[in-house]
Amino acid sequence: MAALCSAVGVSLGAVVRFLVPSVFYGPPQSFKIGNPGDFPYGPPTFLADEKIFVFRDRERGFAVASAVCTHLGCTVAYFQNDRDFHCPCHGSVFSPTGAVLYGPAPRPLNWFEITLTRDGQLRVDKDKTVPPTYRLMV
Amino acid sequence: MKWIREIWQSIVRRDPLSTDKGKSELVFLNVWLHIHPAKVKKENLRFKYSFYLGFITFFLFLILLTTGIALMCYYRPYPPAAYQDMKDLQFAVFMGSFLRNMHRWAAHAMVVCVFLHMCRVFYTGSYKKPRQFNWVVGVMLLLLTLGLSFTGYLLPWDQLAYWAITVGTNIGSYAPLVGGQLRELLLGGHTVGEAALLRFYVLHVAVLPSLVILLTIVHFWRVRKDGGLSRPIWKLKPQKTEALVTIGAPAAVAPLQVTAASKDKTYGLMEVVTGKPIFETMTPEEEEDTVFSYPYAFVREAVALMATVTTIMAISLFFNAPLEEMANPAVTPNPAKAPWYFLGLQELVSHSALLGGVVLPAMMVIALLAIPYIDRNPSRRPRERKWAIWLFTFFVVANIILIIVGTFFRGPGWTWVPPWVHVVARPE
Ligand code: HEM
Ligand code: FES
Repeated sequence: MAALCSAVGVSLGAVVRFLVPSVFYGPPQSFKIGNPGDFPYGPPTFLADEKIFVFRDRERGFAVASAVCTHLGCTVAYFQNDRDFHCPCHGSVFSPTGAVLYGPAPRPLNWFEITLTRDGQLRVDKDKTVPPTYRLMV
Repeated sequence: MKWIREIWQSIVRRDPLSTDKGKSELVFLNVWLHIHPAKVKKENLRFKYSFYLGFITFFLFLILLTTGIALMCYYRPYPPAAYQDMKDLQFAVFMGSFLRNMHRWAAHAMVVCVFLHMCRVFYTGSYKKPRQFNWVVGVMLLLLTLGLSFTGYLLPWDQLAYWAITVGTNIGSYAPLVGGQLRELLLGGHTVGEAALLRFYVLHVAVLPSLVILLTIVHFWRVRKDGGLSRPIWKLKPQKTEALVTIGAPAAVAPLQVTAASKDKTYGLMEVVTGKPIFETMTPEEEEDTVFSYPYAFVREAVALMATVTTIMAISLFFNAPLEEMANPAVTPNPAKAPWYFLGLQELVSHSALLGGVVLPAMMVIALLAIPYIDRNPSRRPRERKWAIWLFTFFVVANIILIIVGTFFRGPGWTWVPPWVHVVARPE
């Protein structure tokens, strides 16, 4: 009985492990987004494939906000007139610093680390979240 | 001519259908028909008792199997081919859009019918002893039906599909402890992508249909083994008040109890084993009330089958299954809505993801599964089970209201927009 149970258990474990992918083929978490000069001042640039907003400010430099709503993962939009992020799915609204102003979102929007590579390009790492005050001066 | 008759006889091996023996043999010598009893209670054939909803659900499932297999001949489960194949089916494949329409509308209809069938079973109290377990099998079939719809929803790989599944699987990730891993297991990645489409395809065309077929076999077998369909409520007999026969026992010893001799005609093996039948039995008077399954039950089932197929075909001629633009992870349509039967859930989720998306639905499913074991009131008469009926009706109505709100009263940003108000999109 014990032998049978352990055999079944091991097999089930193997099946579950089989289903967990060892290699992910999704987009990389850390990537270059181009030269600092590519980004205008003023309203943020939305990079659709990476789902991020790149902010560039004359005094304070670069910052990168996630465009993925913390509620259920829809892509938020930036509204120029009130400078808030609006989620189309269940109506969450985030302030310019990413704080939740309204709606079911449980957490503020993520901000990602942005650094300068040696060849002078901007690099974003989605695995490293930073406080909304984080800035990269170039 | 003689050899034709001989071949025919070698296949059917029964007496002519003009005889009672032939009618019985048709049922029990045939592997497909023998799930029926040779004779059925006349009252159970009445449309107004079951509305044939269980049968209709099953027939819709058959339509889904056949049209689904046809669609598989043209469908490649990876982006962007999946979307192109949908376009091909719509415009290039002969009858492609008709088959796709049939598959889509039958799927919607199956969700409706399985739900109505459950309501019928509840309101007639048919989940009560000895049918408790068949209710549980039924709830599992309901969940599998929803699972089939959900996995099928992603396959066209259009905007509707992509965002409904993004939102839907994110709901799951709110489940405590395992939620995140469960989502990754289902998607085979961090986001809805190539791997997710392939996994949903495997679930949709292999895993879930096989489970539905297996459980449907158990479901039908149990309907039969529980004594056929439950007696219509208007045929319920007054409560049994047979006195127990006491055999002259010594005064000091508790009286020996003897169950009244069973008047039942059919003796199953179970009776030999347990002494008492575990299924509903017929009295000789009721026996008078039965008719042969051939032709009475079979004709009615055939009519239900034809009505179901014709209705789905007619709808598919006039209404096309929607197909939006190709999935685009960067742009979320506004509002992004789940399939209609999940809009009640989405409405709850718009208030709280953990409570509305995980806790409440989980409690509902557990409550549904447990109904036959919680409701210990043996009576099937509506008058004697007011509480159960009120409670169940409350949940049904609440669910329908939430679905209506989610479908018709939610506009861009999930704000409250009644259907008679026209909104102009806000400029970005
Ligand atoms: C794939 C889904 C399902 C199929 C194909 C199916 C099919 C059937 C059929 C053909 C019958 C015979 C009579 C009738 O037409 O009502 C039946 C009876 C029954 N079903 Fe289902 N069913 C399904 C789901 C469910 C669900 C969701 C429940 C409840 C939660 C359920 C509980 C029952 C019970 C308890 C009976 C016996 C009713 C009685 O004796 O009066 N079934 N089912
Ligand atoms: S996904 Fe943004 S509010 Fe629900």
